[in-house]
Amino acid sequence: MSSRDELYRRLFRTALLIRLVEQRIIELYPSDKIQSPVHLSIGQEAVAVGACDALRKDDVVFATYRSHAFYIAKGGRLDAMFAELYGRMGGVSKGKAGSMHLSAPEVGLMGSSAVVASAIPHAVGAALAFKRRKSSRIAVTVFGDGATEEGVYHESLNFAALTKAPVLFLCEDNGLAVHSHRHIRQSYGLLQHAASYGIATRRLDEGWDAVAVREATVEAVERVRAGEPFLLEIATARYKEHVGVGEDFHFGYRAQADIDRWKRHDPLIQDRQLVEALTPEVEREIAQAVAFAESSPTPGRAELLTDVL
Amino acid sequence: MNVTATKQKPTATRVLSYAGALLETMDAGLASSPNVFIMGQGVDDFKGIFGSTTGLAEKYGADRVFDVPLMEEGMTGAAIGAALVGDYPITTHIRADFAFLAMNQIINLASKYSYMFGGLMRCPMLIRVVVGRSWGQGAQHSQSPQATFAHYPGLTVVMPATSQAIVDMYPQIINKHPGPVISIEHRLLYNLDFSVADSGSKIPLTSYVARPGKDVTVVATSVMVIEALRAAQYAEDKAGIQAEVIDLNSISDPDWDLVVDSVRKTGRLVIADTSWLEYGLAGEVCRQLVMRDPGLLRVPPAMLGMAKAPCPTAKSLEDLYYPSQHETVDAILTQVKGQEHGIPLPTERSMTEGYKRFRGPF
Repeated sequence: MSSRDELYRRLFRTALLIRLVEQRIIELYPSDKIQSPVHLSIGQEAVAVGACDALRKDDVVFATYRSHAFYIAKGGRLDAMFAELYGRMGGVSKGKAGSMHLSAPEVGLMGSSAVVASAIPHAVGAALAFKRRKSSRIAVTVFGDGATEEGVYHESLNFAALTKAPVLFLCEDNGLAVHSHRHIRQSYGLLQHAASYGIATRRLDEGWDAVAVREATVEAVERVRAGEPFLLEIATARYKEHVGVGEDFHFGYRAQADIDRWKRHDPLIQDRQLVEALTPEVEREIAQAVAFAESSPTPGRAELLTDVL
Repeated sequence: MNVTATKQKPTATRVLSYAGALLETMDAGLASSPNVFIMGQGVDDFKGIFGSTTGLAEKYGADRVFDVPLMEEGMTGAAIGAALVGDYPITTHIRADFAFLAMNQIINLASKYSYMFGGLMRCPMLIRVVVGRSWGQGAQHSQSPQATFAHYPGLTVVMPATSQAIVDMYPQIINKHPGPVISIEHRLLYNLDFSVADSGSKIPLTSYVARPGKDVTVVATSVMVIEALRAAQYAEDKAGIQAEVIDLNSISDPDWDLVVDSVRKTGRLVIADTSWLEYGLAGEVCRQLVMRDPGLLRVPPAMLGMAKAPCPTAKSLEDLYYPSQHETVDAILTQVKGQEHGIPLPTERSMTEGYKRFRGPF
């Protein structure tokens, strides 16, 4: 097997793990065992997988409420994630974070915020801290295209450019802010806007291709590690509804055909041979994680006022 | 003006301005560890946040004391990010009003990161905000947001009233306190000189008795502590009344036992705060008292705060807007002797008379 085949297979496996984890969440959801709003990454897995594979373990990522994919791709524990969704003591945050606030500081996932754009400046601050220490670590902020409309996004780009902060701005462009399309939200071109701060940019349209995402991220990270911010925009597609486990094409705000076109490229759909080959062991891994969550105790009164400060 | 906040048997004292105390503690914080840094609009300029950061950029380097663009939210977010990877940020807002632009980061993120992530994330940092007053500061340069911030679990809110409070508290906060701290400083205090003791008991991150007394309890915050001390002295000189002045000092974590014990002793209460009374600190003091013992007060309490309006700029209106020295003394006398106390009130109409040489810099 060539090294490129090996790379493809490695990234494919992580992407498949994310997709099957979320399909398991969909199956579990009607049971009400997961009492947490879930923002599924199905369709967007390749972005997280390709990007995180281009990072070092000690590079830090700041993510959003749609972060199951980044949590898994950065190397977070699957059993702790399921236990967190279940609201159990064995969860990442003892059941205080739920789906929207996953973190795994031991592998560099420094929190996920459910207020759009709010973690973008965190990455700039962390990057500056690394720079001050003359460390080679970098910080990555992941956000959707809608976040770029917020004022703090501008503040963060400006500050990062001024200070040459080693930060990668990673935009997952699924074209939607909840149900609103980009053309009614943005009067600017994202790349031109960032370029006006002197920030180098690139857009990748093949966001279904984890290997291509990885290559684009490797190039971006090289420049960031050398001491400048970079904006990488990756086109992607959200298959499911904004929040929840269902589909939403019947509401008429978007066309199923657009997603179907995307699915024709999606390796997790098209490469059936590899899906079949890898699914049994991935499913076993998921089953163990779910079993861990099922057996984990619920937090009691002692936890209610713990860690406020 | 040299104001002395009473402290138990200080051994040796020196004179130190509020701004000087801030500069000392900022300097000491930076010296204590390379992970401490200060950022804010103008922290490295020639005014140095009213003298509280002057010369520190030169001393510690431009990567540890630095100016930022006008981006209150972005700056606070960057501070959180730096804190999450082990730094200790100190940020400044030359008016507390400007911190409202950072409310998203302070309230939605900093205050919640410890709890929301089950203790995995910590963002210890010090956010310094300065309350303005007098010389036409107006509606957007005068707000005192202690009740706003203290409402949210996860934030520690202090209001140092003296140089002693700064010298004692900031070293307990900087790089030591586990979570985000908002210190609400008062612009009128910056240029005042205080007696400071460098040894003896330290003012804790909670309330303390600034002047002991037995006849009436005055619970005060920030510059109103100074006003209360002056009023208490007047009441003692003119009427032999011994007012006990408690500097609430920590708004998020007051020593309620101290307050309750004092009111149990005096049965009379004046609350003197720097903000509006409605849904504010005065109400919280009463809630704490009533919940512990509804029968503590012998007469209804007196409350001093800003008038229920945005702050006006005209001096004539500003003098009516803030509680005056006259009103503070009257409240103390009335609590003890009733409305017909007959004791002459100080001629000084307002506190700003006492500081009227203050004409900036702002």
